[in-house]
Amino acid sequence: MIPALKINNLSFKYHDGTEALRGISLDIKEGECVGLIGPNGAGKSTLLLHMNGLLPEIKTDNPSVFVNGKPVNSKSLELIHRTVGLLFQDPDDQLFCPTVFEDVAFGPQQFGINENDLLNHVGNVLKMVGLSGFEKRSPHHLSGGEKQRVCLAGILSCNPKILALDEPTKNLDPRGRRELIKLLKTIPTTKIIASHDLELIVELCDRTIVLDQGIIAAEGRTIELLADERLMLEHGLEKPHSLKHRHPH
Amino acid sequence: MRHDFIDRFSRIDSPIHRIATSVKVLAAFIAVIGAIILPISFLWYFLFHGFILIVAAFVSRIPKLFLVKRLLLMEPFVLGISVLVLFQPGGIGTFINVVIKSTLCLSTMLLLSNTTPFSELLSFLKKLYIPGLLVTILALMYRYLFVLIDEAEKMQRARESRTFTRNNSQIWKTRAILIAQLFVRSTERAERIYLAMLARGWK
Amino acid sequence: MHIPDGFLDAKTIISTTVFSAVGFGTALHRLKNTILPRQIPLIGLTAAFIFVAQMLNFPVVAGTSGHLIGSVLIAVLLGPSAAVVVMTSVLIVQCFLFADGGVLALGANIFNMAIIGSFIGYSIFRIVSKIIPGRRGWFTAIIFAAWCSTVIASIFCAGELAWSGIVRWNAAFPVMANVHMLIGIGEGLITALVIAAVLKTRADLLDTDKLNGFNSRHRELIIYGAITAIGLLLFVSPFVSQWPDGLEKTAALLGFESKTLDYSLVSSPIFDYKLPGIGSPALATSLAGLIGAVIVFILAYMISKILVSKSDERIPT
Repeated sequence: MIPALKINNLSFKYHDGTEALRGISLDIKEGECVGLIGPNGAGKSTLLLHMNGLLPEIKTDNPSVFVNGKPVNSKSLELIHRTVGLLFQDPDDQLFCPTVFEDVAFGPQQFGINENDLLNHVGNVLKMVGLSGFEKRSPHHLSGGEKQRVCLAGILSCNPKILALDEPTKNLDPRGRRELIKLLKTIPTTKIIASHDLELIVELCDRTIVLDQGIIAAEGRTIELLADERLMLEHGLEKPHSLKHRHPH
Repeated sequence: MRHDFIDRFSRIDSPIHRIATSVKVLAAFIAVIGAIILPISFLWYFLFHGFILIVAAFVSRIPKLFLVKRLLLMEPFVLGISVLVLFQPGGIGTFINVVIKSTLCLSTMLLLSNTTPFSELLSFLKKLYIPGLLVTILALMYRYLFVLIDEAEKMQRARESRTFTRNNSQIWKTRAILIAQLFVRSTERAERIYLAMLARGWK
Repeated sequence: MHIPDGFLDAKTIISTTVFSAVGFGTALHRLKNTILPRQIPLIGLTAAFIFVAQMLNFPVVAGTSGHLIGSVLIAVLLGPSAAVVVMTSVLIVQCFLFADGGVLALGANIFNMAIIGSFIGYSIFRIVSKIIPGRRGWFTAIIFAAWCSTVIASIFCAGELAWSGIVRWNAAFPVMANVHMLIGIGEGLITALVIAAVLKTRADLLDTDKLNGFNSRHRELIIYGAITAIGLLLFVSPFVSQWPDGLEKTAALLGFESKTLDYSLVSSPIFDYKLPGIGSPALATSLAGLIGAVIVFILAYMISKILVSKSDERIPT
């Protein structure tokens, strides 16, 4: 079976010379939910940007990212944007339209949805994230949790096959966080979640990748990996409380 | 969230708020043109204009004190120039003329902006022959001014908590640095917004 | 300087609206053709930035305060066409969100503050920074340009008020010009301080390579220049005839009215000129303006030395 996402020996350097990624290779199967953890500056966000073809270096002839078997290059970019939905760290970066409706409608409009279906479609997606009736609201009148859910709605409205989420629970209060986790559980697509919120990873992800200094430091079943106290400390992480009484074999 | 004062009442519900944006904009526009073109001797027009404004203000359910405060906030600009008029020969007539006309126009626009969300005005502009690039820029500007006000406030508070001297030259320097930081952050945010737009298929 | 509705008559409203439509259209067209897609969010964010920066108060004296206007700041950072578009957007939002500045006077406000302010400011900035080389000349140019931009925009504003027959030129011009000669000093200082601070944290933002998309070609500058010239002919020149004409009268005035002149320089913030009939306040103000310009230029040159020694020595020009 073709993996939903395949990365083959990906390296990336920023303009200032920082080596953000060094030889990353990984496969993600369809329907899988994979956690991406590691200290600050490990390259998590950079890796997610690559999955959506947003970093310029990717447009070269030698692609190292494959979505559903298709290489990410300048020709496939529109398809990639449609297939992979990327949730950014700061909801204010992602909610760039004056109203919730326009924001959720933005993606479908760019991809050429029928204007008659638009109203219905946006309504359905907003219902899915529990924000029915929020169409006319402005982002600056929303709470942090509501903003995050509108962001998610803006992505879900494009019907992505893969969700790449960057710190989805950052800036959320416990209730907002709980609601988001509940919501994510109901979405069946392939998910890649980068986060410092290790309890979230334990709850949602079957498999986890530890990234440090641009290299995959460890990879395995979430519960086994995160219960390994020595490994966690080595990479600036911490064994989650829910796994306190679990010992790695 | 101190920026609430900017458009707090434009989204409440009232018969005035429910009128279609295009109707409201057109009505306000015609009212303002009328007030400017007609000489003050058409007293009935100005009385009627004022009457309609007062009725609309009451129907709109916006706190009257808020409207009066906003009007008084803008009135110094009007009076400032009007005083110039007052001091020239035969200026009293012109003075009364100008104050009545501009107060009516000002109240009309205040009422329009407080009963119509700016986003509605934008979608109205989209339907007119306004260049798309301008509408995009205005939409981005409206969306992010609230974010930037928050950001400026946070930065200022952080700085004030560490400042103990209060002379003017110090304040000038720190405010200028604050503005510079705000610009740098805006450019960085613009980059991230660009990526977010691309990620959702922006062309 | 935001003109409310009710002060301008129909002919002024129509002509300023036409001028600003042409000027703004040119600027927008220029931006559309040259900037990269990635710079469009930057224009929107810069407009929001100016809106917020204008809300930050700078204390002056005795409880009064002023704020940045920003047209020269943006003209230096992103080029004149971007400045015209940004300042216009700011004025539109201020008009429809705050009722700040009239809706029919929007054309006049855009013409004065967005087009004249950015274009005159940018032209003076370019000329001065060419005459005086190096970083010091660059800062002198910024301060002087910001001052001139503020003062000249206010003169156009006075001209429009006078042309509408509301305020007499002899009252409007001296008051507007004198007040803005002071405000302009603040504008120059804030603009220079902000740019110095940007240079310190992110010098690359002023890198000319990155700004390529924003650089205006001569064609745009010619159009802005033409609009400015026509505006000058229409709004300001009709009133020049009200001044005592000829050089001989100037000489007489220098002797006879030196008292008035001194007064305007020393205590120009006092609105004394609104009283009609004191000699020729308009001519006195013009002379005061010229002397003021020389003084501001010298001040700018002195201040720029402090700014240069504080910021690093990489020169972006």
